[in-house]
Amino acid sequence: MEAFGKYLTEQIFIWDLLRASKYPLILTALSMPIAVCFGMVLALMRMSRFKVISWAAAGYIEVMRGTPLLVQMFLVYYSLPTLGRMLDTDWLTLNNFTASVVCLSANYAAYEAEIHRAGLEAVDRGQREAALSIGMSERQSFLLVVLPQAFRIVLPPIINDLIAMLKDSCLASVLGVPELLTTAAGIGKARLNLEEMYVAASILYMLMSLACYAFGKWIEKKLKASGTPELNLEQARH
Amino acid sequence: MPDEAPAKIPTAKLPTEGNGNGIVLLEVQGLKKSFGPKQVLRGVDLSVTRGEVVTILGPNGCGKSTFLRCLNLLEQYQDGVVKLKGEVVSRGRPEGYHSSRVECAEAEHLRRRVGMVFQRFNLFPHMTVLKNVMLGPRQVLGKSPQDAYAIAERMLNKVGLWEKHPCDPLTLSGGQQQRVAIARALSMNPDVMLFDEATSALDPVMTQEVFRVVRELAAEGMTMLLVTHDMDFARDISDRTVFMEGGIVAAVGTPEYIFDQRPVPGIQKFLQRG
Repeated sequence: MEAFGKYLTEQIFIWDLLRASKYPLILTALSMPIAVCFGMVLALMRMSRFKVISWAAAGYIEVMRGTPLLVQMFLVYYSLPTLGRMLDTDWLTLNNFTASVVCLSANYAAYEAEIHRAGLEAVDRGQREAALSIGMSERQSFLLVVLPQAFRIVLPPIINDLIAMLKDSCLASVLGVPELLTTAAGIGKARLNLEEMYVAASILYMLMSLACYAFGKWIEKKLKASGTPELNLEQARH
Repeated sequence: MPDEAPAKIPTAKLPTEGNGNGIVLLEVQGLKKSFGPKQVLRGVDLSVTRGEVVTILGPNGCGKSTFLRCLNLLEQYQDGVVKLKGEVVSRGRPEGYHSSRVECAEAEHLRRRVGMVFQRFNLFPHMTVLKNVMLGPRQVLGKSPQDAYAIAERMLNKVGLWEKHPCDPLTLSGGQQQRVAIARALSMNPDVMLFDEATSALDPVMTQEVFRVVRELAAEGMTMLLVTHDMDFARDISDRTVFMEGGIVAAVGTPEYIFDQRPVPGIQKFLQRG
């Protein structure tokens, strides 16, 4: 046991890895809420009856989903400042951490938008009509009736993306953010134990993923306190 | 005004004012509705007096559900006028018309006065039975929680389901869900209640549960329009029966007139099939 403790601290520098583990968590904790909110805006734009708005959202979603996140990161970090100089502004010069958050949020927002759209469309049309029929406005029926039900439907796929983002956050290493993968690789290269360091980092990523999964399950369980729309359809069918 | 002159519609000779006092509560004039090139309602005229129970019968696709949905503007119709207590509450708009803010508010106000019960109940599954019934008074009428609670209690008692108030709607039977849906509609204290095939998704026992509630409402003098496929019930409860066919009112009169005299050939065919 003591030997294992020694191995953890002296061979793979577990404390450095744990300290670096805060980056995946912070990057994800910042980016995912932004992605989910921005994704909702995109989904509503996508479903807009105004063609121009709908197309703009569709274009954004396709570009973001269709190009590599890594390329987006390079462009935001290295090319935006150039554009900023041409426009004579500092606003487009982002530090590596901010650039990572911007890219992760902007990229994942495209995926979340499609999840939100599917979720909103999955809520039975009759729910909106029932809300309207008691005199609620479109806005009230959306916020009080449709959205809470859509939220239950989209939660599992969003948790799925949360876990994906946690691991994609390692791409921030290419911009020089001292996150888990950068740290592990740095130690591995210096101590010539790169495989061990990669395995150790992977195990930490997996533990964090499991924590996200457990977090998702917990929220789902809290929401399960009352029924789900799918059940409603089942019952109404007979 | 409608191309089909009202005189052409076979109508019972006797005046049929129902059990109300003869005051016209709901008046529909020349209502036309199209879905794209397909004209579903081709000029419907109907007036309903206070306290009257009117059932609407007709073969599938004759536009009876669409007609009800037009009355509370879940569907926008293209031509005609709907009056409630003599006041114009909605009028025809061209297809694809986008309502202004004021018009939306008017539609919301209209829907408060016209309760609707759906075939598939459409209770809000993420709220308890009590919350379902409190939602309208709370959010739309702006009542205090205490007042909304009192209203919900009264309405749930009326449909005999107060003891179910803490339950999830989905744990209830279909008949119970539909009774909660009726309580939810009643919570807005509407002038008229619309029932859109309210028992079509229910088995005979649950159907009777719901019919019992409808009968009680009728006895209390609630004005109601019911689209139904249950002929016995229609005959039993109606003050007046409307037979729709091909998007128009083909015949209207007392249930006896419609069911026994069968004034138009369509009824003959419709009743034989049933």
